Amino acid sequence: MTNMDCDRLIDYLNGTLSANEIQQFEKHMETCTECQEIVEATGELPYLADPVEPPAGMKARILSNVFEEEHEHDTPASALNPAMSPIPLRKKSSKAQQMWKPLIAAVLLASLLGNAYAFMQLSDQQAVQETAIQSVELQPTETFSGTATAAMFEEEGSVNLVVQADQLAELDAAQVYQVWLINDGKPIPAGAFSPNPNGEGASYYQLESNSDEWDTIAITLEPKTGNELPEGEVVLSSEI
Amino acid sequence: MEKSTDTSLYMRINEQDKAALEQLYDRYEKILFSFLYKMLEDRELAEEALQEVFIKIWRGKGVYDESKGKFTSWLFRMAQNTAIDLIRKHKKPTVPIEEAAQMSSNDAPVDQQVEWQEKKGQIETAVQRLSAEQQKMIDLFYFKGHTHETIADMCDIPLGTVKSRIRLALKKLKISLHGMQERGAYDD
Repeated sequence: MTNMDCDRLIDYLNGTLSANEIQQFEKHMETCTECQEIVEATGELPYLADPVEPPAGMKARILSNVFEEEHEHDTPASALNPAMSPIPLRKKSSKAQQMWKPLIAAVLLASLLGNAYAFMQLSDQQAVQETAIQSVELQPTETFSGTATAAMFEEEGSVNLVVQADQLAELDAAQVYQVWLINDGKPIPAGAFSPNPNGEGASYYQLESNSDEWDTIAITLEPKTGNELPEGEVVLSSEI
Repeated sequence: MEKSTDTSLYMRINEQDKAALEQLYDRYEKILFSFLYKMLEDRELAEEALQEVFIKIWRGKGVYDESKGKFTSWLFRMAQNTAIDLIRKHKKPTVPIEEAAQMSSNDAPVDQQVEWQEKKGQIETAVQRLSAEQQKMIDLFYFKGHTHETIADMCDIPLGTVKSRIRLALKKLKISLHGMQERGAYDD
């Protein structure tokens, strides 16, 4: 613990730290009981508010906007090839189908990628803004029975990474399969997933920087979500 | 039906489970909306902020795990930061209002109301133990989202000491809250 770190408490509570600084401060809090307790006490302040009746229809408005935002957010595939027919992602689905959605989206993206390759080969004189970079099969470690493929494509300067896996072992509630992109031994988290009852899982991740920097993709079995560095064992990996 | 913990709901939301998001929404709509209204003093802005909070949760911006303390602290901090962003974006004049429009209601589930009232009583007592200046600083800093410069001005204290004064006020609040919780509260 240093005073410098404790000094950041107020900025942390006031939301003026960068993502990186937030991470540093949260790391600091793990070992600084006082900062931790002040943050917890501050977390009681909202209860000072007097109960106010929310506007009529707010719940329906907010939830539909939240889920709508998500559609807009996770369908960059529609921009991949504008000539293609509409993607049935917007279709309303029943609750039982919800867990399939990420997988369906990923499979769809992957199949679009295939189409995009074919499309580019057929019409290489035609300008294609989005570039499929590569698709790789990840190799399981000796003790792991699952399989996974990863596909990357570039779109408007950002790189999208889609991973789909199957034959996955069941996880404990807290565990998660975490995807990492590694450059010269340095991993960054690049999506995570939990298997559905059929042992299938998929993730979609958008990267800011270009794929040239990455030499390896790996999936680890993490004891909890949100790890910034791998704690668990690698179960699948491939050079890229 | 067994009540899911916040953490288990949060994990299901990470897997894009809409029903889990809806449950979390129902659980915190009332307190979050009331809190955001207290900060923003505007029903439309409060709704906008609340929506932003749930979009952030749904998209997985900002990651919660139990090492970060209580889920509600994390959730409220996200709400508070979102409201501050809105305040700064709208450059809203922050005239303190009287607890004017008492649109008080009691249709939230009874256990939530009871818990809220209990916590409200505790935190109010804790706040009352602070000096008037400390109370004002917490209000300006936490609920009004003012910058250090403005707080220095409004409280007439040197800019260089604003952060340490706020920290001191929060620390006192913490000690006072702890004291009450340990004694089982309500001795005042």
